[in-house]
Amino acid sequence: MYRFVEHTAELEVELEAGSPEGVLQEALRAFAELTGPGTGEPVERRVELEAPDRPALLAAWLDELLYLADAEGLVPEGADLTVDGTRVSGVLRARRGEPRPLVKGVTLHRLRFRSENGTWRGRVVLDV
Amino acid sequence: MSELVRVDETTWEIPASARADMRVPARIFADDEILHEIEGDLSLEQLQNVATLPGVVGAAIAMPDIHQGYGFPVGGVAATELPDGIVSPGGVGYDINCGVRLLALPLSEPELGARREALVHEISRAVPAGAGKRGGLHLRGAALDDVLRDGPRALPGVRPDDIEHTESEGRLEGADPAAVSERARLRGRDQLGTMGSGNHFVEVQVVAEVLDRETAAAFGLEPGQVTVLIHSGSRGLGHQVCTDYVKLMDARLASYRIHLPDRQLACAPASSPEGRRYLGAMAAAANFAWANRQAIADEVRSAIATVLGKEVAEGTRQVYDVAHNVAKVEVHEGREVCVHRKGATRAFPAGSEEIPAAYREVGQPVFIPGSMGTASFVLAGEPGAMQRSFGTTCHGAGRRLSRTAARKRIGGGELRRQLEAQGIVVRCPSPKGLAEEAPFAYKDVDRVVRVVEQAGLARRVARLVPIGVIKG
Repeated sequence: MYRFVEHTAELEVELEAGSPEGVLQEALRAFAELTGPGTGEPVERRVELEAPDRPALLAAWLDELLYLADAEGLVPEGADLTVDGTRVSGVLRARRGEPRPLVKGVTLHRLRFRSENGTWRGRVVLDV
Repeated sequence: MSELVRVDETTWEIPASARADMRVPARIFADDEILHEIEGDLSLEQLQNVATLPGVVGAAIAMPDIHQGYGFPVGGVAATELPDGIVSPGGVGYDINCGVRLLALPLSEPELGARREALVHEISRAVPAGAGKRGGLHLRGAALDDVLRDGPRALPGVRPDDIEHTESEGRLEGADPAAVSERARLRGRDQLGTMGSGNHFVEVQVVAEVLDRETAAAFGLEPGQVTVLIHSGSRGLGHQVCTDYVKLMDARLASYRIHLPDRQLACAPASSPEGRRYLGAMAAAANFAWANRQAIADEVRSAIATVLGKEVAEGTRQVYDVAHNVAKVEVHEGREVCVHRKGATRAFPAGSEEIPAAYREVGQPVFIPGSMGTASFVLAGEPGAMQRSFGTTCHGAGRRLSRTAARKRIGGGELRRQLEAQGIVVRCPSPKGLAEEAPFAYKDVDRVVRVVEQAGLARRVARLVPIGVIKG
């Protein structure tokens, strides 16, 4: 589950899933809602990311999606991911398109990615 | 907030003693109503967080258009003493050198007459905006390095008076293209001359009121004159520079024994290798942003030539171009400081050698975009800015409602009808994006500029009203 939370100027996203991989999948879905759909050819990309801690891994994942959207016009559609501590690897499925350039950056402000009573939760503020 | 102390009619302070980690007071320029709005979000807490940064001097300062951001509040100013005070990429923001440029056309609204809609339409065709309209200049290798090093000077056929009428003449010293990552280059290399999305815009406006006749004359503005205001920044290139250096400095905080109340305030001493490298990359991104607004201005002039003729395009003067997200090394009260302006504009007074000779007797021009249905202001820097805010004033109306809240109150189609009923021609690829920028989502810009005038930071010169809006 993902939902956008009220923030005066930016976009705060709350994420919830049964696994760390699920939180990253929800982050992808939230990001794709902001870019709009891709209509071009499907593309797959191998992803290997490492971060200094788990919250930073959530930011690094969204940074990757933002970079691919802005530099290559890729709109994410799904991913097969494995999270190992502060690393994530897997395959990103995307489609070429004309993503709306709304998101400027993924901030570390109020960043969270952790397990709470068996539920994995993430929170991230995007600069728009 | 109980710690707030009223200093005078438009100045409030939270003393440094309010929190154990604050090094300086937090100073807010506001009237009662604006203060009430500010207290509705986390702006003041974020301002107090800024007051904890190593090397910060004077006060952490908030302009009346302040609103909650991430790390720094938007509308915030912080000066750190050099050489060892910190520099914080988050204190500049992702859109490095987001700013505004004002062009003045050699004709009045009656002279424009029925050609207004054609002009707005042609500008919307000429300036790539929003999704899928890449259409920017394609820069590769050395050509991109030239823009990063020299800003608009690196573009072909740029008018010398455009360069002269740009803050820092469109080129920050110390720009280091080698400090800009490959990812940043790949994001920005096809985006020069594109507007972007969100709150960026090009507006066709009319000078509705002149409040300071002598200064308006010096700026080349008169009642009824048609102007074009351009609001954009450094696009993906600047966004990636910020991302890269927030990440780098976040990883090095412990080595500099820096403890922060908010991770997004990640910073390093300006004299450190990380600090120096960021300042070089930030200056390069700032130069890219000035080149971007230059390329957009060229696109606007080409649209003017198509609709109104070559002579009108050639007679379209650049009044000035100001940055409102940047960190600059300046001298204030004998100290060399790094002034972070995050949603705040430099506003140097008359006499400053930093402003063009033509404006030196009246002060630096400052442009304050309001919302797309209300008004924008031309201001001039005042001596009070040097005494009270490190030569800085506000940058806009400031958001008061979230984008979601704005969309809940009005649809894009209905807003377009309302704006067109006011005589404003609208071009926007996204109805949702239009609704998010509805005028009621912003503070009252008249009130914001009255506060900075009363506080002695800048004085009102002219009020401009929109007749055409092109949104990203």
